[in-house]
Amino acid sequence: MQRILAQCRKELAQFRRDRLTVALALILPVATLLIFGYAIRLESKHIPLAIQDWDQSWLSRAYIEQLFATNQFAPVRRAGDEDAIAVIDRGHAKATVVIPPDFSRRVEAKLPSPVQVLVDGSDVNNARVIRNSIRATTNYFMRVNDLLPGSERVVARVRLWFNPGRRESLFIVPGVYAVVLAVFPALLSAIAMVREKEQGTILQVYASDLRPVEWVLGKGLAYFLVGQLESVLVLTGAMGLFGLRLVGDPTPLLVGNTVFVSASVLFGLLIGSRASNQGAAVQAVALISFLTALLLSGFIYPISNIPFPLSLIAWVVPARYFMEITRDAFVRGTGWAGVWPAELALMGLALLFLRAVLLATQRMQLKD
Amino acid sequence: MGQTERKGQSQPPGMENPDPPGRGGGLSGADVVRSLWAWLTGSPLMALALKEVRQILRNKQLLFLLVFPPTIQLLLYGFALNPEVKYLDLGVVDYAQTLTSRELVASLTHNQVFTLNPGSASQAALGEQVQRGEITAGVVIPPDWQRQLQRGETATVQVLIDGVNANTAGIANGYINQIVQSFSRNLDPPAPPAPIQPQVHFLYNPGLISSWFFVPGMIGVVLTLTSSLVSSSALVREKDTGTLEQLLMTPATAGEILLAKIIPLFVLLMGDVMLALLVADVVFSVPFRGSLLLFLTLSGLYIFVGIGVGMMLATIARNQQQVVLISFFINMPLIQLSGAIAPVESMPLAIRYLSWLNPLRHYITIVRSILLHGVGLEVLWPHVLALAVFVVILLTVSIYRFRRQLS
Repeated sequence: MQRILAQCRKELAQFRRDRLTVALALILPVATLLIFGYAIRLESKHIPLAIQDWDQSWLSRAYIEQLFATNQFAPVRRAGDEDAIAVIDRGHAKATVVIPPDFSRRVEAKLPSPVQVLVDGSDVNNARVIRNSIRATTNYFMRVNDLLPGSERVVARVRLWFNPGRRESLFIVPGVYAVVLAVFPALLSAIAMVREKEQGTILQVYASDLRPVEWVLGKGLAYFLVGQLESVLVLTGAMGLFGLRLVGDPTPLLVGNTVFVSASVLFGLLIGSRASNQGAAVQAVALISFLTALLLSGFIYPISNIPFPLSLIAWVVPARYFMEITRDAFVRGTGWAGVWPAELALMGLALLFLRAVLLATQRMQLKD
Repeated sequence: MGQTERKGQSQPPGMENPDPPGRGGGLSGADVVRSLWAWLTGSPLMALALKEVRQILRNKQLLFLLVFPPTIQLLLYGFALNPEVKYLDLGVVDYAQTLTSRELVASLTHNQVFTLNPGSASQAALGEQVQRGEITAGVVIPPDWQRQLQRGETATVQVLIDGVNANTAGIANGYINQIVQSFSRNLDPPAPPAPIQPQVHFLYNPGLISSWFFVPGMIGVVLTLTSSLVSSSALVREKDTGTLEQLLMTPATAGEILLAKIIPLFVLLMGDVMLALLVADVVFSVPFRGSLLLFLTLSGLYIFVGIGVGMMLATIARNQQQVVLISFFINMPLIQLSGAIAPVESMPLAIRYLSWLNPLRHYITIVRSILLHGVGLEVLWPHVLALAVFVVILLTVSIYRFRRQLS
């Protein structure tokens, strides 16, 4: 135990001495939180929308006004000769609504009148948002102006739980928390591990009577502490800047946080013991930890959308389970009843990584 | 270590020039090098460029970096990022248990948006399922539904949606409303069609295939990462191993040393552009609607941005480890604020303006516009201009810094 602590103290002293690494450890997580937290928004507000009104009646103008009444769309001024598609081609507008010349006549005669909506489909997600939004606004417009023949017989009363205002930050920021803790502790521990090999100090470790388990645990403990510091920083930022609050029982988050940071550090140690130099180690962590936490964890889009062979990898991505825990802790608030499978999975993965690290360090010893 | 020794041999420039170039032309295989050779006979530039080409070809790790991570990233982003809203779990509690209520449930689930999750017994159980995230949406049809319908009153259906994922929740909400509405209009007696019928056409990507959006963005990201990393490590290696001093003792000027480093990298990175394009075409069938020549020219321009960033990194960092770490600080904001993943239009206004200072954002706009929209310079000129400005600034500053560090 004492030797583990000594190893941990040595590691922390070494960590403190390297200014760049300290900056990396403390500034980058917060910067990541800020950038991801503010910049990742999937739904556009004020989507530039162009209108081509061939009708120019009071009805068409009222309809246009209704389209812009929410903050979903912002009007685009078109040059007089620009046609409906050119304005999208140039990227000035994301969609164009073309109102036909006989629009008001047909509507007043209760005949169906098609309104053409051209949507830039290149941003797939917002294309859907635009379509739904225009349809919903049109229906609202017809209802308000008594244009709908026949009364409405069935209506859906929709309630959005947990996030009635559909604030995207409530979804993204708990995810960022998991991404940050997946990447940075792993990065630091991987660098620390591979440095021993690169600088040859690992020979000194061999020469001492330190056992591999003690060595790994000491190193791991040091970066675990750094990782906890990072999680406190990010948590403060998430609560202070993005207004996240813990809802319900905080213990699942505490336990999950501890296990997840350990798993992340152990994974870093694993990479560090396999990589040949620091550059390769950083590359590997960036590629594996970062990409899996970003893409295979349900951070941006639901996990169920990941196609088949990749979805298998998603099962062993720790960030995926931790994201369930953070989202539960900050938004859902079901506590242990909802997240115990995720906690168990995290613990399993952490143990798996520990085992792999111990194996890898033994191999490191045998080689020289 | 062996590398530095052998490098020393090819260094005495000028005299040995007539010999290496012949082989060099064959080695790189690029006309660029050959025409430059004809133009620059007798200059140290050629010898240096050759040395770089040899060094690169010997460096397996560099070649690995050029091929493996870009391909993996393109594939992962292209396959894994999918904003589709499909097969959401829908729980239904039908207290009415009539023909019409079952019809409503059928019309909610017969498309691919929702699949029926059979486990909900009561309204309370349904609520719990939504709370635990087992189902995304829950529908409760009240017991007096049929009576309300028969009396001609407006019958209500309660819908609970898990709002944690704001984006999915919004789209699911839209779908449910549309389905219920069309169901209501088709109830017996069917209502006449609604007077205003928006007919939505998706341009450029009618099937809304998500990889068509993400892959062009990733081409930009991959190119940024690779070009900055490769060029900075090529420069800093000389600093690291101390061979930079040896280079300085040769008659070559600092400008020539840099140029000799840049040219082979440029050729390799153009290869990366082709590789990325190939993956986009073969794996994802992303359309290519614009001009290939324009695409390659502008990608070439962007590679210089990447090289400029890399050189800048190299002048800041002292050794190779630092390069990789510092590149984190620079590349992460560049990538996240570029619109590669989340569209720039969705970002807050201040960040949107800030993103004009991001060269990657311009390049991604260019790639998407050329590939998907098929437009040309007449639309893209502001972005091209911005890229050109970045190239000039980045290269000037980094060459200046590099020279100062040399003396």
